[in-house]
Amino acid sequence: METQNHASRLGMWLFLGTEVLLFAGLFLGYSVYRHFYPHTFREASRHLNLVMGTINTVVLISSSFTVAMAYYSVKKGRNKAAAGLLIFTILCALTFLCIKAFEYHHKFEEGALPGKWFHFQEMEGMPGANMFFTVYFLSTGLHAFHVIVGMAILIWVLRRLIRGDFNQSYYIPVELGGLYWHLVDLVWIFLFPLLYLI
Amino acid sequence: MAQDKNSKEAKEHEHGPGRYVVIWLLLLVFTVTTVVTGRMDLHGANLPLALLIATIKATLVVLFFMHLWDSEGINRLVFGVSVLFVIVLLLGVFGDLLTRSPAALPDGAPQPTLEPGAGIPPERAPTQAP
Repeated sequence: METQNHASRLGMWLFLGTEVLLFAGLFLGYSVYRHFYPHTFREASRHLNLVMGTINTVVLISSSFTVAMAYYSVKKGRNKAAAGLLIFTILCALTFLCIKAFEYHHKFEEGALPGKWFHFQEMEGMPGANMFFTVYFLSTGLHAFHVIVGMAILIWVLRRLIRGDFNQSYYIPVELGGLYWHLVDLVWIFLFPLLYLI
Repeated sequence: MAQDKNSKEAKEHEHGPGRYVVIWLLLLVFTVTTVVTGRMDLHGANLPLALLIATIKATLVVLFFMHLWDSEGINRLVFGVSVLFVIVLLLGVFGDLLTRSPAALPDGAPQPTLEPGAGIPPERAPTQAP
């Protein structure tokens, strides 16, 4: 049993390693275009909603905390508490997506869109503005997709938890689902300052 | 369980929920710090500071929420190698970008502000148009 746990944990870390490399490509794209258009990127970040971005950061960090607590509770045999913590985490994921949807909606109305759909009047004619919003939508879009997947995994883990599949000696799905959720948090920790702040 | 310190399980059980609470509070403090300092005029120190804070936050999450601190060594190796390759990727690309001739830059990009000789041999430094 212990060997199986080690193997599945290792498999998850290998997968997370590839996820890091996947997002690294987008961060690289951001860095290259920021290097070409430092002024425009600084200006464009001022057009993102800092309040919403900050709230989403707090939401994700807190959900990371509750998922870690859920793992801890299952290990201690407190399955009820763990279920409550998982439900809270899933609600945080929903909150994040709702706020993100509001932000996207606003960008659609302004025309701050990627590629040929770009018609944002406040930054019309600034070289590189188009690229900022392309990188913005690609990276936050891929991240939002990960939030949806993470939420689905946590719902599955919650269902099994309520069914009574987990106990103090078998809790590996809670642990690995949690690891995936932490990765989602991890990516946002870098996306937030780069896109919203500087 | 306190007597059995050699066992891995015992080591993992040593910390209570307090550790998670402390990390969560630290993450919130760092978030506030980065939001407050992010848009201040720090004379070009904004980007390094924001990246430093993000790296600290990420390290806290990886080590304590994701338990890499007391995980098996092989997991640490896997994640470490992944991060290493990200660094190699960034170094490789920026090694190229920072030593490019201005002609290779896309339209509308500001000319590089590198002083001739700052990291580039003078004969390859970009010649500024008058």
